[in-house]
Amino acid sequence: MKNLRRTSQILIFILFVYLFIQTEYKGRNELGLPVRLFLDFDPLVALSALLASHAARSIFLLSLITVALTIFLGRFFCGWVCPLGTIHTALGALRMRGLKPNHPEGRYPKLRPLKYYILVFIIVAALFGWNAAGYLDPISLAIRSLAIGYNPAINKIARSVLDAGVALHVPVLSPAMDALYTKMTGTVLAFEQPVFRQTLFIGLIFTAILALNALAPRFWCRYLCPLGALLGLIGRKQCAARVENDKDKCISCGKCVVSCQGDATPFPPGEWAGAECLVCYNCREVCPADAISIRATTRKTGDGNVDLGRRRLLASGVAALLIAPALGTVVQRKRTSPLLIRPPGALPEQEFLSRCVKCGECMKVCLTNGLHPTLAEAGFEGLWTPILVPRLGYCEYNCNLCSQVCPTGAIRPVSVAEKQKIHIGLAFVDKNRCLPYAFGRNCIVCEEHCPTPEKAITFVEERAIGENGESIMLKKPVVNPDLCIGCGICETKCPVVDRPAIYVTAVNESRSEENQLFLSI
Amino acid sequence: MLDRRKFLLGLAAGTAGLLVSKGKLPAFPLPKSDKTGGDEKTRSAEKHSMSVVKGADPALATRKAIELIGGMGSFVSRGDVVLVKPNIGWDRVIEQAADTNPAVVAALVAMALEAGAKKVFVADNPCNDPRRTYKRSGIMDAAKAAGAEVRYIEDRDYVKMNLGGEVLKDWLVYRDAVDADKIINVPIAKHHGLGGITLSMKNLMGITGGARNLMHQRLPESIVDLTAFFKPELTVLDAVRILKANGPQGGSTNDVAKLDTVAASADPVRIEAFGVTLFGKKSGDFPMISIGEKRGLGTSDFMGAGFVEVDIG
Repeated sequence: MKNLRRTSQILIFILFVYLFIQTEYKGRNELGLPVRLFLDFDPLVALSALLASHAARSIFLLSLITVALTIFLGRFFCGWVCPLGTIHTALGALRMRGLKPNHPEGRYPKLRPLKYYILVFIIVAALFGWNAAGYLDPISLAIRSLAIGYNPAINKIARSVLDAGVALHVPVLSPAMDALYTKMTGTVLAFEQPVFRQTLFIGLIFTAILALNALAPRFWCRYLCPLGALLGLIGRKQCAARVENDKDKCISCGKCVVSCQGDATPFPPGEWAGAECLVCYNCREVCPADAISIRATTRKTGDGNVDLGRRRLLASGVAALLIAPALGTVVQRKRTSPLLIRPPGALPEQEFLSRCVKCGECMKVCLTNGLHPTLAEAGFEGLWTPILVPRLGYCEYNCNLCSQVCPTGAIRPVSVAEKQKIHIGLAFVDKNRCLPYAFGRNCIVCEEHCPTPEKAITFVEERAIGENGESIMLKKPVVNPDLCIGCGICETKCPVVDRPAIYVTAVNESRSEENQLFLSI
Repeated sequence: MLDRRKFLLGLAAGTAGLLVSKGKLPAFPLPKSDKTGGDEKTRSAEKHSMSVVKGADPALATRKAIELIGGMGSFVSRGDVVLVKPNIGWDRVIEQAADTNPAVVAALVAMALEAGAKKVFVADNPCNDPRRTYKRSGIMDAAKAAGAEVRYIEDRDYVKMNLGGEVLKDWLVYRDAVDADKIINVPIAKHHGLGGITLSMKNLMGITGGARNLMHQRLPESIVDLTAFFKPELTVLDAVRILKANGPQGGSTNDVAKLDTVAASADPVRIEAFGVTLFGKKSGDFPMISIGEKRGLGTSDFMGAGFVEVDIG
């Protein structure tokens, strides 16, 4: 059983990593692979988006498969499927080795209710329109942390090693490293070195979560994971495969307790907690007396499930109840940030926020590495939602990948043709910095790159005196707000390297009724 | 690859484009004088130095154009490593005429290999994402099928070199282009906001790195510097379709005219001087041509000695 479970964990983890790597442009407009598969089967993602946005999507039905299986099998998802759980299993195994039977070290029974409070907080917040699930939902957390936090570092390290090998100029080795470099970029490694804002911040949070295994094996899964809590509540009866400790056979050695990946106390008999069981079946494996069996039963044989405590449960709900509306007091609600350039297809801001789970899929897939996690641009409730940072990367005219990967429809699916009509912002020329305006020198790189078939950036011509006193024709860029879709390629390519002489802000965005600058007739 | 249906669609689009352009440009504004003479000359074994071939099949037209100026053997030697440098700058398709015609590129690759080249590779530093431009332009698939190695240029592939130019001194250039024995420059003729028209000299920006956008400030001098530095062995101008407005990336087939023309010469200035006439312009209006001529890179008198023009239908 243990080997079967391990095999499942490893294979599914490989699938997860494979899909993660495939969340990149691979030469076709359509990704062709269900890269967001894990999010689709995640009931917490579906539930929070459903409650917060009041909009049901048929894709949410997939997560019901997880729910149905959980009713029968308990938290099998945590023990057999969850990729973050698998990382914790591996790291937790290191900690588990040092534990002694019947010793309280590595167990924090008082912390058991914590994840349920977190879950209640998330659900109540969602009822008030604040989708907070993504911060701690394990799938969103894993994808975001890997994409923004770890992947840039992994890529950098791999590239540096290969480059160092090439730079040695050693026969055989250097050409081999060079060939390997070419083979790996765009396949295992990213096509181009990814660079994100907040890499360190998001990476450190993930590292801290992994480091919690030093306190207890799978600390995250036991005490913090809101999806674990949700699946625990659904599957606490484990009616198809329930762990039972036969008190007549049990010799009270305590080995099952230290081998338990969850904090399910298979010993003493009768205190076993189904909602905490991660279905690893280690207990049965280690029991020297063969006292532990796994049975299909609906019989209730003593239940050690956590007493959540009505007051605390209420308190966590009330906390969300108070905080969710209070978030509306942030200044970003009063006046939208000019930097809040959402990807094309993004819903109007409040609807967008109610759906986005901050999984980072759109940022991972963005062709130009132009989508980045917000810090303050969207207010507190919008932390880590995607914005286009045109100085770093633009929105490719013929690409709609971000709309293909969004699991909740926060970025609705848009065809390339439709996307090309969506205004996500508007470009402005800074005449104090633009070379022809400010210094009388020609440039017009922005106009060259402007992708709309009828160019949104044109220029006016003006006779001027050149650098050497000669008469030149100066071309000064002008933006047509009806044609400009705010893709930002002008800002990305503007040769004024630090603060660009042409820049995009969110105003004029199609999705908003308010964020407009012209009288609509 | 260009199949018949796409070809016909493109043809229709091009023709439609010409019709809606309200006759702003003559369809093929070439001086007629030398035409028949040239045609006759081709039958003789005389070697020309500049050829213009009109033909419905871009690959055949390309072959003919090279043949007329002495065949690929006079440019590529046995054992050469050859860079065929098309314009793969934009995420556009063939009909939009923003990138070099893949059939022209493929024909040159095949001919270079036939002439005994050890290796032929195709590369460009595009403006849009290279994965998209290589694929959607059709050039990657066509060049690979013809036997070329298609390379993406990475940051680590640029080396800083002294170009010894008038305005360009130390600049990052594509190492493999510098190391190549021969460079065949294959631009497409397009409208360009700043330069007026972009042809072969500007195409060489695609094998430079660094802050190449700064070159726009002294564009004619910069691209002449690049031409002097890279010294392309052969320049083949793709005017199968030309982009007449909203260049250099276009997007609308209304701005495209189908001329079914390929021109070839070892002289890049001569190609430029010919290229601007496709847009009804005179070479004197383009500083890149006069500066290039002054720098001794070639002649603006494209109709001069050794010129031949053929219509192969």
